[in-house]
Amino acid sequence: MRDLLQDLMDGAASHADYADARFVDSIAERIATRNGRVEEVARSRSAGVGVRVRLGGAWGFAATRDGDRRSVERALDRALELARAQPAAPDARLVPEPPARGSFESPTGIDPFAVPVADKLDVLAAADDAMRGDPRLKVTSAHFLAFRDERLFASTEGALCEQRTSQCGGGIVAVASDDLESQIRSYPASFRGDVAQSGYEHFAGLDLAGNAPRVAEEAVRLLDAPSCPAERTTLILDGEQLALQLHESVGHAVELDRVLGSETSYAGGSFLSPADLDSLRYGSPLMNVTADATLDGGLGTFAWDDEGVPGRCVPIVREGMLRGFLSSRESAGTIGLDRSHGCMRADGFARQPLVRMTNVNLEPGDAGSLDELIAATERGVYMETNRSWSIDSRRLHFQFATELAYEIVDGRRGRLLKNPTYAGVTPRFWASLDAVCSAGEWRLWPILNCGKGEPGQTARVSHGTAPARFRDVQVGIA
Amino acid sequence: MTASLELAERALAAVRAGDGAQATVVGERSLMLRFARSQPTQATAVDDTSVEISVLRDGHVAGASTNGGTGDELAACAREAERAAEAAARHGEPGAYPGFPEPAGSRAHAGHDPETALLDPAAGGAALRQVFDAAASRGVDGHGIWTAGEVTTAIASTAGMLAIDRVTDAGLRVTCVAPGGRSGHAASTATATGAIDAAAVAARAASRASVRGEPKRLGSGDYAVVLECYAVAELLEQLGRLALNGLAYAEDRSAVSGRLGTQVAAPSVNLADSPRYARSLPRAFDAEGVPKRPMPLIQDGVAHAVVHDTRSGALAGVRSTGHALEPAGAPYGPRPTNMVLAAGGAADEAELCRPIERGVYVTRLWYTNPVRPKETLITGVTRDGTLLIEDGEVVAPLEDLRFTDTVLGVLERTQALTAQPTLVGDHGFYGRRFATGVVCPGLRASSMHFTGAVP
Repeated sequence: MRDLLQDLMDGAASHADYADARFVDSIAERIATRNGRVEEVARSRSAGVGVRVRLGGAWGFAATRDGDRRSVERALDRALELARAQPAAPDARLVPEPPARGSFESPTGIDPFAVPVADKLDVLAAADDAMRGDPRLKVTSAHFLAFRDERLFASTEGALCEQRTSQCGGGIVAVASDDLESQIRSYPASFRGDVAQSGYEHFAGLDLAGNAPRVAEEAVRLLDAPSCPAERTTLILDGEQLALQLHESVGHAVELDRVLGSETSYAGGSFLSPADLDSLRYGSPLMNVTADATLDGGLGTFAWDDEGVPGRCVPIVREGMLRGFLSSRESAGTIGLDRSHGCMRADGFARQPLVRMTNVNLEPGDAGSLDELIAATERGVYMETNRSWSIDSRRLHFQFATELAYEIVDGRRGRLLKNPTYAGVTPRFWASLDAVCSAGEWRLWPILNCGKGEPGQTARVSHGTAPARFRDVQVGIA
Repeated sequence: MTASLELAERALAAVRAGDGAQATVVGERSLMLRFARSQPTQATAVDDTSVEISVLRDGHVAGASTNGGTGDELAACAREAERAAEAAARHGEPGAYPGFPEPAGSRAHAGHDPETALLDPAAGGAALRQVFDAAASRGVDGHGIWTAGEVTTAIASTAGMLAIDRVTDAGLRVTCVAPGGRSGHAASTATATGAIDAAAVAARAASRASVRGEPKRLGSGDYAVVLECYAVAELLEQLGRLALNGLAYAEDRSAVSGRLGTQVAAPSVNLADSPRYARSLPRAFDAEGVPKRPMPLIQDGVAHAVVHDTRSGALAGVRSTGHALEPAGAPYGPRPTNMVLAAGGAADEAELCRPIERGVYVTRLWYTNPVRPKETLITGVTRDGTLLIEDGEVVAPLEDLRFTDTVLGVLERTQALTAQPTLVGDHGFYGRRFATGVVCPGLRASSMHFTGAVP
């Protein structure tokens, strides 16, 4: 395949201003139990070649599952045909990048695909069984996920690099219901659990069965808990919810294709403009955000992005000031940057790369542990584990719901509260950040379902966070 | 066309073990041209075929899929599925899956257009030029997509199923943005590219973006609303996922669990899943090969039925209604994919506005997500054409608004509907292309709960 892609790019050089080709071989495994029974055992494999060309300012992309010479040459012809068929476009420059060469494999202790299905089912069934019992529990579920991607990239500029990454994890969910409502609890994270760039050892270390009784008990208790009251108050978010807050109100907002309007019709734009770089106050001086594609274990960790740009660690917000965007070679060139931040990623072989998040992290502060932060808070609400999210198309006005909350009274956790929600406006919310827990509480959290692009693409990313406190936030919206 | 069936039969023949098996072949050929700021931005052509083999063992179904079609690749896929089913069967009690459905004879439909299946990029390029011209004539920029695709689905099973369906779909979605930032939206979806009037769609989006005046801000509260078809479709899609999903119903998580036969919406609300409706995107059968048939869901405001696949049907003690989204049923359950909301008597949205003293005109809803699923409580924001209604007329643009309300509540408060339903397509196409759409009119509701302005 290396020779084939190199030959293809040699041929493409005389027809296109620029071209690249990616061979991607993706394997995924999903295993789940539900209410004590095996619900899903599925393995999928998808492989093929995507060819991208640039001609007179227009992009064309064609994908084929067939990896033979004739098929990939036909894909190149089709990509050129698409580029030619479109109305003329200004020829924006791609910022220069030395051709990527080499290979990379993410650290994987135990190959998750080599572990027998029966062993994974043993872990899931033990956790599922440990959640069951109370008749108000309508659904108990435990799940395992594993992904492996092999990518080979070549370009008309001489790039030729390959990388292999593995990701693995899982989680548990309990849903309790009565006549009026349903309540849900998840562990370690909602929406398919905790997944990391890792081998099977990450899943094995989650202790799903050990956490199952607590998860089930909390789901049932929530049915009878009082609702989160509507008020403006101090809000402490756990790391998992803060990861999604960061994802939605910072990560997407700093994607340079959105900032430049390229995603307006679907994913939306951004309240930021290129002129805001180094001049806009995003949040309080405690806010330090970094996009780091080099972190061990991150789902946004790679050696090269899908344009062959090395994975980088770049500042996004420093002491509350906007210092960077997530960019591609084209978008970086459009605003006059001298280099891409290496954020172009594609979902499989049949999609062309988009500006995507790497591991966008809120750096830890000095507020100690979560317990210490709560102890230092006279009155407020602590919210944990995302349940629902919504933000407007410019990434300004958001509303989130979490699975549970506790009121904070005199520095202690008070009553359990159900149906917690909070809302805010991005820069005002981040300006109200007045404490971030210390490095001991900081860890990566996964987002497994980040959607963007047309045709739609799903990305898996990680965000490093520690619990943090925000003042004067509207909670209890609905 | 027969190549897909032959591939399905070869895949089924590769299975050696289990109590039964189904092979599903889905082939996609598609084009998607994207544009922004009245310039092309991306163009994607996909040509891919996937084979999924599902094996039944002691009531458990396990699966494996590949997009390779050689004998070795199919055999490897079959072995994976067999091993997975065996592992599932050895684990605990027998599964609840009753067996792959027997063939029931699906009806032909008119959902395939040979010209659209040619996937001519020149047709897309021409549409983009029309959009850019229409936008320029109003002094706005065009953003959006033009797309066309052909999807072939073939199913072969040990229960005797041997079925094939071939559909095409086409769509144009345009958001126009004025220099001041106001935006307007319009879209068109059909089974054929020839049915898409690019200039008309763009002109409608451009006119919305060109509404004059500084946007006003409304505070939180309940306001009478007129919802365009795009907003109505978004609400109905959420209703389908949350309440009309047979798995949620069987697990007592649906808003209509225990409420079938009771009033859940205004008497003017008649909602059905109608796969043969003339303006829908027809489909012959579901992911288990069960034929699609018309099915009332809400009649005169009374909850009538939910949709099932074989798995949820087994839990509820009923047969599949032909709404499986994956072979043997998706983990998240079935949902209606051809919803049609019956039209009313209002000539257009302007007539819907007339009785409203002060209210909100909503073109489109964005980023909706459930807050409390069992109540159908969702939140989201308005987008691309939010307007103030005063004394029966649209008088000014509004800043977008966040709403937090129950879908069934909005349907309960529905007062009137327009006479012309529109097919609103979903062109997200995550994973394999699966074109669906909701056919619905615009509606007026006496109130909708808004929880803040979007600055």
